[in-house]
This record gives sequence, C-alpha cells and structure tokens, in this order.
Amino acid sequence: MARVYNWQIGRDMSYWYPESRPEKQFAAVFDINKCIACQSCTLACKTTWTSGKGQEYQLWNNVESKPYGFYPLRWDLKLLDMLGEQQWDGDQYRGQTIFEAAEAGERVLGWRPEERDFAYPNVGEDDCAGTIETGADFQIPHLAWFFYLARICNHCTYPACLASCPRGSIYKRPEDGIVLVDQQRCRGYRECVKACPYKKVFHNPLVGTSEKCIACFPKGENGLQPQCFVNCIGKIRMAGSISRPEDAKPENPIDYLVHIRKVALPLFPQLGLEANVYYIPPIHAPTPFLYQMFGPGVAAAIKTYRSAVDDMDLAGLLTLFGSSERVMPRWKREGDWTIGLDEQDQEIVRVPLKEPVYLRGPFDEKYQVARTNCP
Amino acid sequence: MAKKLWHLILVVVPVLTLVGCRPAPPVARLMDVTMVIADVLPEDPSDGVWQHAPEFTTPLLPQDQVEPRQLEVSTREIRVRAVAAGDHVAFRLEWDDPTLDDQPGHEDFPDACAIQLPAIAEPTLPAPQMGESGQPVEITFWTAAWQATVDGRGTTLRDLYPGATIDHYPHEAAPLKSDPIAQREVQLRYSPAHALGNWMAGPRERSVEDLISEGPGTLGPGPSADSQGRGQHNGDGWSVVISRRLPAGWDSARGSQIAFAVWQGDRNEVGARKMRTGWINLVQEP
Ligand code: SF4
Ligand code: SF4
Repeated sequence: MARVYNWQIGRDMSYWYPESRPEKQFAAVFDINKCIACQSCTLACKTTWTSGKGQEYQLWNNVESKPYGFYPLRWDLKLLDMLGEQQWDGDQYRGQTIFEAAEAGERVLGWRPEERDFAYPNVGEDDCAGTIETGADFQIPHLAWFFYLARICNHCTYPACLASCPRGSIYKRPEDGIVLVDQQRCRGYRECVKACPYKKVFHNPLVGTSEKCIACFPKGENGLQPQCFVNCIGKIRMAGSISRPEDAKPENPIDYLVHIRKVALPLFPQLGLEANVYYIPPIHAPTPFLYQMFGPGVAAAIKTYRSAVDDMDLAGLLTLFGSSERVMPRWKREGDWTIGLDEQDQEIVRVPLKEPVYLRGPFDEKYQVARTNCP
Repeated sequence: MAKKLWHLILVVVPVLTLVGCRPAPPVARLMDVTMVIADVLPEDPSDGVWQHAPEFTTPLLPQDQVEPRQLEVSTREIRVRAVAAGDHVAFRLEWDDPTLDDQPGHEDFPDACAIQLPAIAEPTLPAPQMGESGQPVEITFWTAAWQATVDGRGTTLRDLYPGATIDHYPHEAAPLKSDPIAQREVQLRYSPAHALGNWMAGPRERSVEDLISEGPGTLGPGPSADSQGRGQHNGDGWSVVISRRLPAGWDSARGSQIAFAVWQGDRNEVGARKMRTGWINLVQEP
C-alpha cells in the first residue's frame, strides 16, 4: 500500500497505488434540493448506454429516496455497519477508510450484493422518515422528511474498483480522470462490484464482464455534458472539472461551489475515495443524518445555500445549472446576468438572475375574453 | 535452475507401456504426472482409456501469494491422469465438489479448473504462480458455465432467468430485422466486450480458453486457440478432460512441468481466489 493525500478527509491515507492525479478531473455538482425524482436522468442513461443484453438491471444512474431508498438494497448501510463507528475530528477524519479497514488478504473492505438486492430499484420511494400522526400534514415545518439522492459513478480520485482489480482491468484516464472498465481485459471476477462502496459497477451475466458509468466520455471529448445531466428536468446538475483545493479557481464553477463556497460536498467522504460528484445537501433533512452522509462541512454548506437568496454570485452560478448542453469550464456574473464561458472566455450561454415576470390578469381586455376556463 | 526430472516413481510399480493391451492401472501414489501413450486422445471423462493411465493425486494449496488471497482451504486435492497422442496431451482432472455451479449470474461463480505449463519446455522454469516477465506460462482454463453453453444452454436472459420479462432490445427493432449488418452494429454498440473480441463475451464453441501469462495479473489470450475441454459432474464432484498440444520444445526424455488450479463456485472462488499447486513433474511413460 502507498501513502496518498486525500483532501476530503484532511490527511494522508493508505491506497493500493501511489498518488497520480489526472491532468483534469471530471467532477459534477448535484443540487439535491432541486431533484424531483422524475428519473429522466435514469432513462437518459438507460437508453443511451445500457439497453443491451445482460444490462437489463443495470442503472448506471439511479435516483433513490433517502432514508429508505437504495439501489442496490442497503448499499450504504451495509458498508457503514461493516466499518463500524468512526470519528471525525473537525475536518480531519480520524477513522478508517475502506482501504485501511481491508481484512487480511483483501485489498478493500467491501461486499458483493446479491441478485435480489438489485430487484427493487424503487423500494423506499417516497417513504419518509418516521410515522405520520393524524394532523401532522397541517404542521409546518413537517416533522417527517425524505429527499432524493441521484447517483452516478463518482469517478473517484482513489477508486476502490480500480484498486480491487487483480488484473488491472480498470483504469483512470489521465486526461480527464474518468474511471473505465477495459472491456477487452475484464474477466468478470467482480472484485470491483464488491469493492465499490457506491455499488456503481454492475456485472453483465450474459457478456461475462463488469460494466459501469463512463461519464459519457464521448460527449465530454466534444465539450458536452453527459446525458443524465442534460436531460435533467429539475436542472440539478452541472458537469465540469475540479482542481486540488490549493489550486482552486473562482472562475471554475465546480471549484467555486466546492472549494471556495464549500456549498457542495462529497458523498461519504469518510470511505476514502475522494469521490468527484459533489452534492448541495438538502436543507430540510436532519443534520446528524447529513453529517454521516456528507461529512463535517454539512451545516456550513446548508447555511451558505440558504444565504443564496441574498448572494448574487452564488444564486447566479446556480442558475447556470442545466442552461446549456455544453460544458462551461468558466463563468462570470455581470449585474443581473450570469454567463457561462468556454476556455477562451467566449460566451456559451447567458442566464438572467431573475426571470422577467409578466402579470396576466384573468380577463383579456383587448380580446374581451376570460383567460381562465373556469368560472 | 536445471531440474532433474524423475520418472515414474511408485510405491507399487506396475509399469505400462501401451494403453489398451495392459492390465489394470496402478493404484499407488505417484510423484509425477505420467503420460501414457495412446493412438487417439480421449475427449470424454468416461473414456475407458483413462483406466490405463496412472492416477496422480496431489493436495491443493490456497493461493496466498497475491491479494486477494484465498485464506481457507476449500478443495483439498485433485486427481490427475494424462494420455498423450502425437504432439497433443489430454489430462483428466477430478476433484470433490458436490455442488454443481454452472450459472453465470450476477452472484454466481462457476466451478472451474485450469492447467498450466511453461510456454517453452526448458530446464529453467518460470515462477509457478502464473509465470514471470520474460518467462511465460500457457494456461488452459475450463469453466462449468462454458461447458453448459457448449452443451446447449441458451445465451439469452430467459435461459438464465426463465421468469424474466424484457420489453425490447434496440437491435431487435423491426426496421433492423431485414438488415443483419445494421442489427449487429446496434447490438455491438451495447456490448463493447463483444465488439472488442473479449473471449468472455463469446460466442462459445469450446468450454476452454487458451491463455498466456507472465505473472499474476497479466493473463491474456494465448497464441493458439486449439485446446479442448469436456467436463461432467457426477453428483460428488467434477471430472474434466482438458487437451492441448505439448509445449514448444517438448522432449519426451526430459519431460516438463505442470501446475493445476481449481475454483469452487459456491464458495465464490474466482480469479486469484483459488486452490492451486506448485510445479509438478510431467513425464512420459518410459
Ligand atoms: S464510484 Fe465506484 S465505480 Fe465509480 S470510480 Fe468510485 S469506486 Fe469506481
Ligand atoms: S454520466 Fe453518462 S454514463 Fe454516467 S450515469 Fe450519466 S448518462 Fe450514464
């Protein structure tokens, strides 16, 4: 095992290979508060990449309701149980990562789901935490809660899938950090299925290899955002690349949200993978639950997000989400407009901070007709 | 290291020279895998010719050299017989495993076995653990899942999961039905392993795969693809015939070396998680 630095846990950790960061790292921010679980992303991915034989059950993108939704069943709870109680000390994680907690003879602490764990992609859908007493729906705030968690492969800086493969069949592209299973080399051992804590590698029983999200790299190579991003009705996603914290650039939208404003956080950073999909946490779920899921930065992130209403930069950048199919590596705000830019600072898209409001009365004076069709 | 090869060493020594015209086989424990000569290679595990080849029994060791390691002993021993004809040799491997695992499902691992020989039969041996850089080994790998396919099990989802419902595959769209080339192109789009010619993806005409390796993690397609295999499960265990050509540089006076590996599917054994042997002398009957 090598020693590598993982900024998400604020310390060095053990990893199977020495630190080797790509030239650029694919990264994304998902605003959980805007997700409506319409599953457009899931279908966009399904129809684009996984409509073949043996891929029937594969959901490279899925949306699950937390706390009771999982795909596959209990993917997160099972590993957290195996890892046992661990501690953060401020921003530094004092517990063990899944690489450090690997059992004798293993490369990673992991588990392989059973077939039936993939049989209920919507189990727990819209189930809220706790029981609802009569009349509870008249109380504000609501005492019960749930939120939607959209998930793809995190194209981790320290992928457990890659570390676990004894054949080296999984690789991280040096140009963009996208993690891929080499379909020529894979022999279907499923060590990666066992090792990925997010359960984002799927075995194809009819083909005999394991398959996973490819971050739509053919689109990325052409400057376009992935399918599940551009088909998102709620416009919750933005794709780009992330720098190391010390190199953060305010003009890079992902750096701005993750490193500068710290409003977007990795999923289960304590596992040690330096996951590269970042979430703006849901503002209405209990902090202890979110702390476990997104780490110690969660309370500050929610506070910052709540302040967006008075923060033209943050609110402005959030309006760029879902505004163009093109990747926007840079951005700026000019007055009431946020502008997405390419690498040469050429404008890609321009979005108003405030949508113009048109008031349309119930009666059209010009045509002398009622605009509503109910009396 | 020059290795002195020992010939047939028996506690009881009934020596055979010609299969088919000799008395009952030896029953004592051999120290070498000894090939007897026949006119034709046996393809079937129940071929009577096997009765004339001496049975070699060896304990298996857990693969505990590289992660992921096999820490528990599963298959304890393997019984091997060998018959050569011309420049080819067939081995019959038998081991106890009452559960038949031949499904390639998501959580299913098939029973499997493999033989390994140096790519070139020469006195300096490659490392027994899958060879080493510059000194490759050739491996022939058999699995029960491939055997089931060769024996006629279909390759659709319903062949694995009879209750499955499939709405539609894009390559089965009506407009493509009259154009097999376009249909194939769409099918490959969703199956990169097929498109890249990965053997795992089939199509499967043999139950074995020829591989070459220069150390753990380097296993790749072998230079030739002419090995054959046939396995039968008898309720108590497997009996598998693997035949291949003798290694390059084979000299019947000097012999060579062979190693074996066995995987039990119900114990989730796959890849590095296996029971195996070190090098064992492979000799031809005098
Ligand atoms: S999320 Fe899982 S599959 Fe994706 S890179 Fe990380 S470990 Fe690998
Ligand atoms: S990034 Fe592309 S491949 Fe990955 S889940 Fe989204 S649509 Fe699927």
